[in-house]
Amino acid sequence: MATTVAAPSLAGPKHKYEGGLWSWLSTTDHKKIGQLYLYTAISWFVIGGIEAAIMRTQLYGPNGRLVSADTYNQLFTMHGTTMIFMAIMPLSAAFFNLLIPLQIGARDVAFPRLNAFSYWLFLAGSLFMNVSWFWHAAPDSGWFAYAPLNTPQFNPGINMDFWVIGLQILGLSSLAAGFNFITTIINMRAPGMHFMRMPVFTWSAFVTQFLIVLAFPIITVAVTFLLFDRFFHTTFYELSAGADPLLWQHLFWLFGHPEVYILILPAFGLVSEVLPTFSRKPLFGYPVMVYSLILIATLGFGVWAHHMFAVGMGPVADSIFSVTTMLIAIPTGVKIFNWLGTMWGGNISFRTATLFAVGLVCLFTIGGISGVMHSSPPSDLMQTDSYFIVAHFHYVMFGGSMMGLFAGVYYYFPKITGRMLNETLGKWHFWLTFIGMNLTFFPMHFAGLNGMPRRIWSYDANQGWDLDNHISTIGAYIIVIATAIFLYNFIRSRGHGAIGGNNPWDAPTIEWSMPSPPPAYNFAKIPNVTSRYPMWPATGPSPLSPPVPTAGTDQPLPTHPTADQLGIPMPTATIKPLIATIGLTLAFVGLIWHRQIPIVLLGAAIFIASLYAWVLTPLEPEHTEH
Amino acid sequence: MTGLHRARRFISAALTPVFVLGLAACTGLPNTIFGAHSEVGHAEDRLTYLLLILGGIVFVLIEGALIYAVVRFRARPNASTPSQTHGNTKLEVTWTLIPAVILAIIAVPSIRTIFETEATAATGALQVEVIGHQWWWEFRYPQYKIVTANELYLPVGRTANFSLRTDDVIHSFWIPQLAGKRDVVHKDRPNWLWFTPDSIGVWNGFCAEYCGTSHSNMRFRVFTVSPDQFKAWVAHQQTGPAFAVAAPAPAPADTGKKTGATPPAPVAAVALTSADTNTATVPHADLPKWTVPETPLPAGLSFDQNAIAKADPARGAQIFKTAACIGCHTIQGVSMGIIGPNLTHVGSRTTIGAALYPNDMKHLTMWIKDARLMKPGSIMPPMAKGLPESMGMFDDQQIADLAAYLSSLK
Repeated sequence: MATTVAAPSLAGPKHKYEGGLWSWLSTTDHKKIGQLYLYTAISWFVIGGIEAAIMRTQLYGPNGRLVSADTYNQLFTMHGTTMIFMAIMPLSAAFFNLLIPLQIGARDVAFPRLNAFSYWLFLAGSLFMNVSWFWHAAPDSGWFAYAPLNTPQFNPGINMDFWVIGLQILGLSSLAAGFNFITTIINMRAPGMHFMRMPVFTWSAFVTQFLIVLAFPIITVAVTFLLFDRFFHTTFYELSAGADPLLWQHLFWLFGHPEVYILILPAFGLVSEVLPTFSRKPLFGYPVMVYSLILIATLGFGVWAHHMFAVGMGPVADSIFSVTTMLIAIPTGVKIFNWLGTMWGGNISFRTATLFAVGLVCLFTIGGISGVMHSSPPSDLMQTDSYFIVAHFHYVMFGGSMMGLFAGVYYYFPKITGRMLNETLGKWHFWLTFIGMNLTFFPMHFAGLNGMPRRIWSYDANQGWDLDNHISTIGAYIIVIATAIFLYNFIRSRGHGAIGGNNPWDAPTIEWSMPSPPPAYNFAKIPNVTSRYPMWPATGPSPLSPPVPTAGTDQPLPTHPTADQLGIPMPTATIKPLIATIGLTLAFVGLIWHRQIPIVLLGAAIFIASLYAWVLTPLEPEHTEH
Repeated sequence: MTGLHRARRFISAALTPVFVLGLAACTGLPNTIFGAHSEVGHAEDRLTYLLLILGGIVFVLIEGALIYAVVRFRARPNASTPSQTHGNTKLEVTWTLIPAVILAIIAVPSIRTIFETEATAATGALQVEVIGHQWWWEFRYPQYKIVTANELYLPVGRTANFSLRTDDVIHSFWIPQLAGKRDVVHKDRPNWLWFTPDSIGVWNGFCAEYCGTSHSNMRFRVFTVSPDQFKAWVAHQQTGPAFAVAAPAPAPADTGKKTGATPPAPVAAVALTSADTNTATVPHADLPKWTVPETPLPAGLSFDQNAIAKADPARGAQIFKTAACIGCHTIQGVSMGIIGPNLTHVGSRTTIGAALYPNDMKHLTMWIKDARLMKPGSIMPPMAKGLPESMGMFDDQQIADLAAYLSSLK
């Protein structure tokens, strides 16, 4: 069946790239999947941002009563969960998909259909968790959902059922993608693309995938225990059965701290692409940048208990985790110094992408410094679970990850769509984000040092927190305006932006050698890579020409020969990964919706049947039809 | 408050440019972690200052270098291709070692402070059992057989050794002005925290670990008082309820303590004046404004003011004894419930609902009428007639009588 429906989509260029809904539902093209990730993740970023704006409005002044305590608890739980698992991680995944095959000179990822399955799982998991809003039953135990508050005894509603299942589905998505990209990077590099010639973004992606495949099984186990507690009355976290509430914390943070690096390393990678291009200089200390990525990832598994200095682990454990946490600051600091070294002596052009990349260096530094402050347990006892922590991790997640990802969006938009984002709007977006971000999160340092606990729905008057909260809320509104400008620019430029050409930034890596947007087969001829920066002459690049006109255009994009015309075999388009996802999700819906066993069985049957059909579908259509 | 001012000067001198924005907000900071009023708090503060200063220096150097690079190396017309440097081993080694040295400067005092503050508490310490409940705090003084709620009295100059347990989920015990927080994790394996308050005052305490619906409404007060005042408070708490109806005043529950203070007679329902040096509790009139809750009353709750005017504590006492109240609350000699806070001396407390509302007739009547509306998630059912799940079926007059009785339990 799939071959017959897939055949038309291979028939000609029109269907291949301008195809309708079906071509998106059945795609196995890493670039289309990457775009799906990109659009979906931006949508969740907007929704997570709306949640944040409601919370900031509630906290504008003392004794706010805009939303109820229960609603507020759902909002902050979902804001954290959404931004981490549905916005930042999938935005990174969008770039993994869009860039890894292009940067290493491959035609696609190693397992194109598994890749589609990863995306559909991500969409299903994120929708699953968010439909809970319609019953006013969104998850409400916080994004790290400490036991025993997450157990049926203290959370008997279905709120955390949505969280448990949604997170399992999202975890499956990340794991499948992780193995896929590791296989891709190890096996599918073009001739000459040695590991130490790989673009640093691909390196950061490579390291991140190892973090994912090592860290996600831990949360999978922790959440499976919880799922069994909640659905089948096991007692992994049940206090009355003698469970230790700290089991969850250790499991969660053993995943949760590597997760922080899963969120930040891809952004580091993007900045390491953007800064050399616009400084017209190679990345300073490439090998050190690679080693520091690996060091951060390795040490990242030995610091988890610094989230738990207040639980009473005893002086020895506190000291050990304090020192490991301090150690991880060294490779992180080295990265910042090397970015400075990259810019130093350069000829820096300040396009929007550069601004966001410099924004990361500037703001992540602040988050890094406050991070070192938490590494000292006695001092951390004053800071942890206060707004100081909220300030800290937003400087890391917004000032770090989001700034880097926005840099990547502006930098790679022309490669993905063939058109440029409007630079004027882009600069408005950057400056409003930068100002709004600092207004929102810097005062939180003071609120925290002045004793304001985090995750509070409401606070009393005369606590010395009013001004900090006023400023934070105003800053949040500025971020909302900035994001609206970005959305307009993004949507408008997709169809009407100026034509970018193959390499609008005169960038050095091989993804810029091919047309924009790349044809389905990526490289008409697989390149032979001879250096880290093949697109630049050995003597260095010439200064970057003035910006291309930012005025929009309705001029159509150039067309290129199709895979068929060139005789390049391409992966079959197939709907089966989507069907498998629907089956799996249906099984979970049956579980959560009054434990309807027939629906669970039906979903499982669909899942298994579509997996079989998937396996039996040939990878490339030529083998069956041509 | 001198410590606070010293801390403020300290930071502003070191980090003026960075902290200008924040200092603008520093007009009244009743909960600041700086200038803490205990030796443990001081030790934690010293590290925080060190971290802020070192962090401030690193911040200025990195951001300074970044701003310099951005200005100095920005693209200029007719610029030539920059030198294609790929790296510099000496630089790499240097900027690996410098952070390592800075971190060593932080690590040594950090670890020393960990072992100091996590050592066993001084002998002769005041033992305080803290039990976290969703969403209020129970405080027990086993040496004096006192059980109270949401208000903690500590003598200055004597180490208070807290044994922290939870009755349900994880909470975190935090008094920012006294010391760092400690999570309240287990039911049966207490966590520990000790510190020695060094100044007299009233401090706000908070639950710092998200614990469900009313996490934000799980506050408490700490009164650090002189040793004499503490003795008086202990003696007073050890007496029976101040209001007794048709029965002799119950004897003090325990006479085994050796405080040496004369137990004051059960006091009448009048406010103790601040002029009285032997007051058992801090007079309400002397409370700083940040310890007087301004939580607004929920919409849709009203109370008959005439009923308050006509309230009779004696009638209230009779109602209490025969109503559902006794199932959850202890009043020494009257009832033995253990689900809710001990009410033996509830009238002497400054707040109700875990520091959510001032303890006065206006708020107490509303609380009894519909606690769940007054505090989201509260397990105390409504007591008024006609409300869903009401356990009391009381009219406003009966509720006012109950409130008058409770208020009289000074």
